[in-house]
Order: sequence, then structure tokens, then C-alpha cells
Amino acid sequence: MIDGATARPRSAMAPLRALAGALVLLIAGVLASVYQERVFRAQRARELTVQAQILAASVTAALVFGDAKAVQEHVSALSINTEIGAAGVYDNAQNLVASFARRGAAPLQRSLRDENDGANTAMFINVPVTHQDERLGTVYIRAIEEPLARRLTRHVPMTLLAVMAALLVGFMATSQRALQNEMEQRSRAEDALRQSQKMEAVGRLAGGVAHDFNNLLTIIQGNLHLLRHADMNDHAGIQNRVASADLAADRAGNLVRRLLAFSRRQPLSPKPVDLNALTMGMKELIVHSVGELVRIEWNLGATWWIQCDVNQMENVILNLAINARDAMPDGGTLTISTRDCSLRDGADDAEVRAGDYVEFRMRDTGTGMTQEVRNRALDPFFTTKPQGKGTGLGLSTAFAFIRQSNGHLEIETAPNAGTTIIIVLPRYLGNTEQTA
Amino acid sequence: MKSRVVAPIALAAAILFAMPARSADHSLEYAVKATFLFKFASFVEWPAGTFESESSPFNLCVVGADPYGGRIAQAVAGQTVGRHPIVLTQLAKADRRSACHAMFVAGSGSQEVEEALRAVAGTATLTVTDSALSPEAGIVHFVIVDDRVSFDIDNVAAAYNHLWISSKLLSLARRVNTGRGVTR
Repeated sequence: MIDGATARPRSAMAPLRALAGALVLLIAGVLASVYQERVFRAQRARELTVQAQILAASVTAALVFGDAKAVQEHVSALSINTEIGAAGVYDNAQNLVASFARRGAAPLQRSLRDENDGANTAMFINVPVTHQDERLGTVYIRAIEEPLARRLTRHVPMTLLAVMAALLVGFMATSQRALQNEMEQRSRAEDALRQSQKMEAVGRLAGGVAHDFNNLLTIIQGNLHLLRHADMNDHAGIQNRVASADLAADRAGNLVRRLLAFSRRQPLSPKPVDLNALTMGMKELIVHSVGELVRIEWNLGATWWIQCDVNQMENVILNLAINARDAMPDGGTLTISTRDCSLRDGADDAEVRAGDYVEFRMRDTGTGMTQEVRNRALDPFFTTKPQGKGTGLGLSTAFAFIRQSNGHLEIETAPNAGTTIIIVLPRYLGNTEQTA
Repeated sequence: MKSRVVAPIALAAAILFAMPARSADHSLEYAVKATFLFKFASFVEWPAGTFESESSPFNLCVVGADPYGGRIAQAVAGQTVGRHPIVLTQLAKADRRSACHAMFVAGSGSQEVEEALRAVAGTATLTVTDSALSPEAGIVHFVIVDDRVSFDIDNVAAAYNHLWISSKLLSLARRVNTGRGVTR
């Protein structure tokens, strides 16, 4: 669900990004074309200026000697350059001395003033004719009017390039989107597979759990039955019955909760929590769970806080306590302790990163486990308890939860030497005063 | 300057009448030729050291009488070649010590055109002649083409006189003797 929710905007963004990319490419293409056009015009202007300067130099003597015919010869020679639409030489009074105009180009005005003021769309160049620091006149060259088709032709390669690049981006975006869709589908399929496997396991469990649940219901019913016939003045007795029923109901609730926690992916809601307070809050529950034969020692020395889902953490502790009770059928001592601990890198377990942790320890003096049992203790559905007494989910869900909370769970045990469950959870580094 | 410009009207008239009557309006032709005379100078380079300073005078000599009826004096009055003021000098005879930068050789009774040209050959003198007056050609030789004043240039003679003539002027000439045959 969460994956789907985050994946949808991402895939919706992809075509937008591709569109933006294509747009950027097209804009870049347009800019490149504009730049190219400017470079082209500048180069054209330079070429025409050079041509005009050459003409100005060559008509100098002709202007000095007033040889209009020679001027005309020089001007006419420019007609060989097809880029020139019209060219002419004006004298110092701005009167036309000689000129030529290509077919299709407007002939030059009699006066240079009119020519320069005229609404010329074509590029034109004025170059002075000077001789010995004296101005003799002006060479005027007007470029041909470039047909639109020819100007467009110049930009065809750039346009093609930009369009092809844009198409490529679009194509890539489409294929990326397809790939993303496929990945999403696969991820969903995997989720579904995992869930169906889980549901199958839950189905197989149902029998055992139902039996367990039934036992608990029997306890509740028995107590209620006894209450109905109890001497109303025997307050202690009534209290006992109520406590027993309560405990059974709690266990039934826990059983259901554990099953639910396993069967559906419950989102965790981690909160900063003082592990000592959490443990002390469960004191009564633990005392009742383990029974009168087990003595409990409390040694809560931690000062740091942790961050985890409170309900799940309580569930873990209760599970561990019940496991400990089951391991000590003839009674014993259960030691529950917490402490601050800083782990360095390369510590005994490479799976735990270096840093500050809060350690929770539950030690029993029970039967302990063989190496083989210990190795499988964290596997789901593994239990040493008789049929109907346990589901085999306690430790495995505890382990999964601790890992989800970036912590670690370890078991120290040996046959007849008791079992110690060690849980480390990362220290909460936020403000603990305000949240307290 | 005018006092130095002597224009014997009789002589001018005599020459005028001696000219073949190709154009009815000789006055325009003469005015053009007179103007051309000093305008040639701006396209010619004299050897370094020819002029004392940038503003020292440019000596334009006329050997013989002004065949254009005083129009030379009119044309050059107040004119300069670059920044050199033009000083017009009337000579009866030209020799190596004449110190003329440009010399219009019209020919006179005391010295034929050919003689005058020979006299200044090898000196830095731009010699100008008129085909209407004599077939003998100096460095620049006026000709009339299609009723228009034009000129031939003898670049070999110019080189002999240590002069460098701009290609701009050469391009305007009707014919140029480059020593490798006459072009154009």
C-alpha cells in the first residue's frame, strides 16, 4: 500500500520530466539557431564590408580624377558576387556616381541619404572612400534579399538535431515508465506472494492457536463459574478468581494480537520511550505470568531512552517472561535488567553498528537450550512446547520487531545453565524531557 | 604666386589653334588637365629625403608657356599635395638642377619636349606631357579617349626617376608601360 502510494506520483512525474527535457532541448535548438543566424549575419556583414573596402580603395583614383566610367567599371565588377544585390559609389555630396543592381533587386537611390533612410529589409554596408585623409565619397553595398526558403534551409540540420534529441528523450521516458510499471507490478506480486505464504502459515497455525485460545477461555469460564458460587465475603478469594480470569483474558488477547501482528503487516508507530518505565509498567503482568514459584530480581540501570513501538515492546517482554516461566517449571530466579551500553565497531556481532544502545537482559535459571534448539529458536513456528501450549511465534516475532527497530536480539544459553535473552536497542538522541 | 605665373596669351592662343580640333569646348578639357596635373602627385611617392619637411613646398614646374591658357595657375592656387603647398614655377628650360617634383613639359622654343625629358631623366621628377602638344611621352602622358581626358603611364620611366606610382593611379590609366609590355 505504502509502496503504491509513493510509486504513483513518481511515475506521474516521469512524462512531465521528459516533456521538460524535450522542451529544454528544443529551446536550446532555437537558441543555437538564433546564435547561428547572428553569426551568419555578422560573417556576411564582414564579407560585404571587405568587398566594400576593396571597392573603395580601387575607385579612389577614379573619384579623384572624376572618372565616372572607371568607377562604373569597378562597381560593375562586383556583380560577380551573387551575395550582392546592389552596389554603388556616392560622391561627397551623396550623389550617385555609379551603381549596379542585380535583377530583382531595387536600383539604388540617386542620393545616399534616401538609400540609408529607405525601408531596406536587406543588410547594407556603408564604407567611406578616402584619399590622403580626405573623404571623397561613400561605397554602398546592399546584400541580396535572402529568400525565406534559403534561410530556413540553413537551420534544417539544427532543427533536425533538436527534434531527434527531443524524440529520443521522449522515447527514453516512455521506456523508463514501462520499466517502472513492470518493477511496480513485480514488487506487488512479490508482496502478494509473501502475504499468501503468510496466510497459509496462519491457516496451519489456526488449529494450535484455537486450542490455546480454548484453554484460556476455559480458565476464564472456570473462574467466572467459581465466582458465581463464591462466598461474597471472601474478598481475597474473589480477587484471586478475577485476577486469574483477567490473566487468561490477557493471554488470549496477546495470542490474538501476536497472530494479527504476524498475519498482517501492522505499521509500527515508534515513540521515544523510557524502557525502565515501560518494564515497571508491566511488573504486575510479569509477576502474574511467571507465577509464585519464580522469584524476580529487578535491576533497571539504564538512563538513556529508546525509540520503539510500545505495544510491540511490551509484547516482546511478556513473551520472554512466559518463555522463562516455561523454562523454570520448578521455579527459579528471573533477572530483568537494563543498562546503557556503547558498542564499538567490530564488536562481537558485526550485524550491530557502532553507537549508543540500551541493553535489556532477561536471565532465567531454567533448563536452558541445546545448541540445536538455540539455533532454531528464532525460526517462526519453532517451539519446544507441547502441542497447544505455544505457537512458536513468540521469539520470532520478537526478533523481527527488534530488527525492525534497528536493534538486535541474542540468546546465551546452555543445557541446564539457564537462558539469557539480550536485546539492544539504539539510544534515542532526541529531547527526552519534553516527550516525557 | 600669381606674379610667378606668367601666361602669355599669344603663345597660349597659338598652341590652342595648333591643337587638333577634336572637342569644341577646349576650356573644359584644359581645366581638367590642369587639375589632373597636381592630382597625380597624391598617387606618387618620391624617394625619402626629397622633401625637407612635411610642409615644405611642392615644386610644380611648367617648362614653356602654360598651354592651357593660365588654367594651371588657377587650378593649383591654394592646393596642396598632402601637406605640401604647391609652388608653381615657370621654366624656359629644364635641367638637372631645376629641383622640380613634378614637371609639365609643354615644350618651348628654347627646349623641345624630348630634350627637357632627357634633361631630368634619373632625377626624382614626375614628368607630364600632353599628346595634344607633342608625341613625346613623359611618365604621365595625357591622351583624349572618347572625348574624355585620360592618360598613359610609363612605369619604367617612373622607376628610372626613383618614383613609385600607386596601383590606384595605374588602374585608371589607359595604358601602362610596365617594362614587360604595355598593359591595358
